[in-house]
Amino acid sequence: MPPLSILIWLPAALGLLGALSSLARGARDTGEEAGWTLPGALALLGALGALGLAIGYIADFHIGSTKLQHVTDVMWVKELGIHYKLGVSGLNVFLVGLTALLFAAAVLAANLRRWQRPGLFFFHFMLAESAVLGAFLAQDLALFVAFFDLMLIPFYFMVGGWGADRGEVTRVRATLKFVIYTFVGSLLMLAAAIATGVLSAQEGGGHITFALGEIRSSALGSGTQDWIFLFFAAAFLVKMPAFPLHGWMPDGYRAMPIEVLMVFSGVLSKVGAYGFLAIVLPLFPGAAVHFQTLMLVIALASILYGSVQAFSQTDARLVAGYSSVAQLGFITLGIFALNGKGAQGALLQMVNHGLVVAPLLFIIGVLARRADGSEDIRDMGGIATRAPVFASLFLIVSLATLAMPGSSNFVGEFLILLGAFQAKLAIAIIAFTGVVLASVYALRLFIRSVHNRVGAKVSSRDISIADGAVLVPVVLVILFMALYPQLALKRSEKAVQTSVYVAASDSGAHPEGQCPKPGRDVLGCLTPGPSSQSTQTAGTQVLGTGEPPETPEEGAVGE
Amino acid sequence: MSATTWGWLVLAFPLAGTLVSALGFRRLPGRSAGWVGTGAIALSFVASIGALIALQGHAPEHRELVSSLWSYASSVGIDAKVSILVDPLSVFMILTVTGVSTLIHLYSISYMEGDRGFVRYFAYLNFFVLSMLLLVLAGNFLLLIVGWAFVGAASYLLISFWYRRTTATRAGIKAFVINVVGDVGLVLGTYFIFKHTGTLDLLGSFHAVSNAAHPAFGHATNDGDLVAGCVLLLVGAFAKSAQIPLHTWLPDAMEGPTPVSSLIHAATMVTAGVYLIARMHPLFERAPAAQDVGAIVGAATLLIAGTIGLAQTDIKRVIAYSTMSQIGYMIMGVSVGAYAAGLFHLMTHAFFKALLFMAAGSIIGAMAGEQSLDRMGGFRRALPFTYASFVIGGLALSGIPPFSGFFSKDEILLVTGERGGWHWALYVVGYLGALLTAIYTFRLIFRAFHGEPVAEAQELEAGHVHHAEHPTNPATGEVEDTDVGFPGPVHAIAERALPMRVAMGLLAVGAIGAGLIQIPKVDFVIDDFLRPTFADSHLYEPHTRNGLLALGLILGTVIGLAGIALAYRIWVARPGTASALRSAVPGGRALYRLFLNKWYFDELIDALVVRPVGMLGRFSRDSFERLFVQDTLVGGTTGVVRAGSAAVRAAQSGFVRYYAALLVLGVAGVGFYFLLQT
Repeated sequence: MPPLSILIWLPAALGLLGALSSLARGARDTGEEAGWTLPGALALLGALGALGLAIGYIADFHIGSTKLQHVTDVMWVKELGIHYKLGVSGLNVFLVGLTALLFAAAVLAANLRRWQRPGLFFFHFMLAESAVLGAFLAQDLALFVAFFDLMLIPFYFMVGGWGADRGEVTRVRATLKFVIYTFVGSLLMLAAAIATGVLSAQEGGGHITFALGEIRSSALGSGTQDWIFLFFAAAFLVKMPAFPLHGWMPDGYRAMPIEVLMVFSGVLSKVGAYGFLAIVLPLFPGAAVHFQTLMLVIALASILYGSVQAFSQTDARLVAGYSSVAQLGFITLGIFALNGKGAQGALLQMVNHGLVVAPLLFIIGVLARRADGSEDIRDMGGIATRAPVFASLFLIVSLATLAMPGSSNFVGEFLILLGAFQAKLAIAIIAFTGVVLASVYALRLFIRSVHNRVGAKVSSRDISIADGAVLVPVVLVILFMALYPQLALKRSEKAVQTSVYVAASDSGAHPEGQCPKPGRDVLGCLTPGPSSQSTQTAGTQVLGTGEPPETPEEGAVGE
Repeated sequence: MSATTWGWLVLAFPLAGTLVSALGFRRLPGRSAGWVGTGAIALSFVASIGALIALQGHAPEHRELVSSLWSYASSVGIDAKVSILVDPLSVFMILTVTGVSTLIHLYSISYMEGDRGFVRYFAYLNFFVLSMLLLVLAGNFLLLIVGWAFVGAASYLLISFWYRRTTATRAGIKAFVINVVGDVGLVLGTYFIFKHTGTLDLLGSFHAVSNAAHPAFGHATNDGDLVAGCVLLLVGAFAKSAQIPLHTWLPDAMEGPTPVSSLIHAATMVTAGVYLIARMHPLFERAPAAQDVGAIVGAATLLIAGTIGLAQTDIKRVIAYSTMSQIGYMIMGVSVGAYAAGLFHLMTHAFFKALLFMAAGSIIGAMAGEQSLDRMGGFRRALPFTYASFVIGGLALSGIPPFSGFFSKDEILLVTGERGGWHWALYVVGYLGALLTAIYTFRLIFRAFHGEPVAEAQELEAGHVHHAEHPTNPATGEVEDTDVGFPGPVHAIAERALPMRVAMGLLAVGAIGAGLIQIPKVDFVIDDFLRPTFADSHLYEPHTRNGLLALGLILGTVIGLAGIALAYRIWVARPGTASALRSAVPGGRALYRLFLNKWYFDELIDALVVRPVGMLGRFSRDSFERLFVQDTLVGGTTGVVRAGSAAVRAAQSGFVRYYAALLVLGVAGVGFYFLLQT
C-alpha cells in the first residue's frame, strides 16, 4: 500500500488543483446549468481515489497484530518533540473508510448542484477531507491537534460562504456560534495537549515528546491529569455535540449546505468520540475513572434530551441533528463504560452512525426538493406511492437509524448498553429509554414525510439516477454491515481493548479474581497478565497493574 | 439432507420470495407476485416437513441440532454466530407457521387481487413469515432478538399498509413502538441471563443453568439475576403476544388488510411470546417467581380480553380480543409447565383463528369495507360457505367437543389444576374465560349471520355485491384515498373466489380435526414429539388424575354449550335482552362502559406515558432549548465578541483573521506559560 500521506493529501491536492484551474480560467461562476464543473470533477476524483485507498487499507489490515500499520514517522519539530507520525490501527481503520466513503458520496451529491465559485467550494470540501483523515491517522498528539483545528477552517468558510439563511437563523449567526463554541474547545484542547507533552516530560524525565505511545502521562499527578482530561473532554463534547454543549448545533445544522452537513454530521462528530478512545483513555485512565460518572451522566442527558427534542422538532434537519446528539450520547456511554464491550460497541457505532446520518440528511435534501424547498415535515407527506424506490431506501435508513435489531447499529448499541449494564446498571436501564424514543422519532420522520396524505405543495416523483448513485452505494454498505458486523469487530477488537485496558482495570469493573469462571470468559472479564511483567514502574498510583499498551495479548478477552 | 440443511432452506425460500417481489415489483405481471409468494412459503412448508423427517431419524436424545453459517458478532467476550437450532420445538413451530401461512398467502391472492399494492403486499407478507421463522429457528439470543424485531417491523409495514390513512399510520407506529418496548425487555433480559450464564448461545445458557456440578448455580432457584432476566423476557413476550398491559396495539392493528390480521393472530407474531417462554423453560423453571408472573398475567389477560370481546361491535376487533384471550391461555399454560398443551393450543388456535379472520374478511367484503356488527345481520343465506366456516371456527374457539379447541384448551387447564395450590384460582379463571369465549363468539355469529338480512345481504342474495359510493374511513370520516388503497374496494367474497375457499376449507379441516392427534388417554402425538426438547423439565407431562381429567372434560363441554345457549337466548331468541340486562343488573351500565372502553387501558397509557412525554418534548422544544440556542446563555459571550470585532459580522474573511489572531494569541499565551514553568 502507498504511504498514508498520499491518502491524506490526495483530496486536498486535487481540490487545490481544481481551485487553481478555475482561477486560471478566471471563471468566478460557471454557466447557468447545474452540472459538472472541472473543480467538482477533480474533487470527486480525489474523493474516489481516497476511497479506493481506504478500502485497500481495510483489506490489507493485519488482524492479529496490535502494532500500528503503514507507519510514517518523520521528526517534524525536533525541539518540541513533535513527530509527523501517521499509522493505521484497529481504532481508526474503519473511521478512515467511513470518512472516505461519506466524502465520496457527499462530493458526488455536491456535483449535482451548481455552486457559486465552485473552485473555492470544492477546495474547502477537499481540504476538510484531508484534515479529517489526518486527524484520524495522526499518531502524535500535536499533529492530531493541528489536524483537528485545520478541519474546522474549511467548515467555517463553507457555512459562511455557501450556507443558507433560514428565517431568523442567518448563516452569519450560525457561523458565529460555531466559531465561538469550537474555538473555545480548540483552545482548551491545545492547552491540554501542550501541558500533556511538557509536563509529562518534566515529571517523567526525558525530553519532550508528543508521539502517542511515548508520552509518559502516567507520571502526571492525578490533579494535573484531571484538569487536562476536562479540557480535552470539553473540546470533544462540543464537537460531538453533547448536551449541554450543543448550542451551536441547531443553527449550524440549518445553515449548512446539506452536502456539507452530510460529512459534518457523519464524520466530524466522530473525531471527538475517537479522541476519547484513542487519546484520552490511554493517556489519562485515572482521570477517566475519576470522571466516569460525570461523563456517563452527560451521555445519558444527551441521549434523553436529544431523543425528546428529535421527536418534537418539525424541521427535518433538526430531527436528524438532535438524533445525532442522542446517538453520540450512546457512543459516549459506551466509551465511558470503561470496558471492552462498551468501547467496542462505541467504535462500531461511530461507523454505523456515520453510515446512517449522511444518507438521512441527503434524503432530507431530496424530500425538500419535492416539498417546494421546505424542510418542515408538516409540508411533506404521501410521496411513497410515486417514489417507491426512494421510500424503500428511506425505510432501510430509518430502521437502521433507530437501531433495529438486524442492523449493524443494533450490534453497536447492544454492545454499548451491555458495557454500560456491567459498569452502571441504573444508567444503562435509563438509557434504554433512548432506544424506545429512537423508534418514535425515526418513524415519525419517515411517516410524516413519505406516508400520510400528500402535502399541499408536494410534487411526488422518484429519485433520479444521479441521486440514486449517491444513496444506493451507502445503503448497500449499511446492508452489508448489517449482515456482517464482524468485519469491523474483528479488526478493532484488540485495539479497543488496548485502549480501555488500563482504565478498565482501574475502574474496578473487572478486578482480578472476580471472574465467576476462571478459564472461561464471562462478562468480558479481563484477566490481566502477571503484574510483575509490567514494564511501567512510574506512576504506580494510576497504572498499578497496567501493561504496556502495545502488548495487550495477555489481557485480551475472548481468546 | 440433514435437518439443519432443511432448516436453512426453510429460511431461504421466504427470503427469496421477498427479494423477488421487492426487486421485481415493476416487472411481475398480474397476480404472479401472489403465486411467487405463496409458492415460496409452500416450499418452506415442504422444507419444514423435510426437517421433521430428518429430525425423527435421529435418536430422541440427539434431536438438538445446531448449524451456523458465519460469525456475526464475536468480540470482547460475546460470541454470536448466524446459527439455527433445529429441535422438536422449532420444527413444531416452523410446521405450524409455514403451514398456516401458506394458506393465508393463498387466500390473499384473491383477497388483495385488485389492490394497487399487490406486489408490495406479498413482499411484506413473505418478509413477515421469514422474520417469524428466523425467530423460532434462531440458535442464539442475538439472532432471536433480530427475528423478534423483524416481526415487529414487518407487522408495522403491514398494519400501515394503506399508508395514506392516518388511522393506519398511527396504528402502525403504535404497534412498532410497543414492540420496541418489548424488544428492550428482551435485550435487557438477555443481559441479565448473559450475566448469569456467560453466553449468548441458547443451548449453552441452558447447559450453564442446568450444570448442577458448578457451585455457582447448583439447584438454587430464584437467583436474582435469573428472575430479573426471565421477568424481562416476559416483558418482551407480553408486548409481542399482546398481554396486559402491552396489548393496546393489537386491536388497532386491525387497520391492516384482513389476511394480515389472520397472519398476525394465527401463525406469526402473537404466538412468539408463547414460543419464547417454552423455549426458555430451563431458565424459567429455575426462576419460579417469573413463571408465576407469566401465569398471573396470562390469566388476567384471558379474562379481561374476554370481557372486552363481549362489548365490542367491530367484527375484527372482537376476534382480536378473542386472540388476546386465547394467547392468555397459552401464556398461562407454558408458564405453569403445560408446555405441550400450550403449544398444542397454539397450533389448534392457529387453524381456527386464521379461519375466523378469513371468514370475517369475506363478510367485510360483502359489506364493502364496513366492519361494524351493528350494521350487519342475516348473512346466513347470502354467505353459506362463510357462515359454515364461521360456525366451525366458533365451535372450535368455544371449546365444543370434538372440535380442536376443546382438547387443547382443556389440557392447559388440566395441567394447571394438577399444579394445585393457588393454581386452582387460575383453573377457575380459565373456565370462567371459557364461558365468556363461547358467549362473545356466538354473539358475533348470531349478530352477523342471523336475524333479518340487512340491505347488503339482500343485495348479495340477489346476486349483486354492495359498493359504497364514496368510501370513507369510518374512524375519521375522511374520504378514502384511492391512490394507495383502503380496506374493501375489491369485495373479495369466499363464495366467489376459489383460492379463498380452498384456504378456508383446509383450515376448517384443521379446526375440526387437529384436536384428535392428542386425546387424553388415547394418543399423545404432541407430547411424544416435543419430549426431547423438554427432557430436562421436571414439569413436563405430570401424572394426571382420572377424576380431574373427567371433571375437566365435562366442565369444558358444559360451559361451552352453556355459553352458546346464553348467547342464543340474548341475541336470537329475545333480541333486546342485552340492553335490558344492562339496566336491570345493578352497575350493569358502568360495567358495560368499562368493557366497551376496553377497561380504559388506552386512556391510561395515554395519560401516564404518551401525553407527559409529548408535553415534555414541546416544553423542551419551545422553552428549555432556548436557553442553549437563543442568545440568552451564549449571549454574553457572543455580545463580547460582537463588540470586539465588527468584522466578524460582516464577512467570512473576518472570521479567519479573528480565528487566526485568537489562535496565535492562545498558542502564544499557553506556550509562554509553560516556558515560564520550565
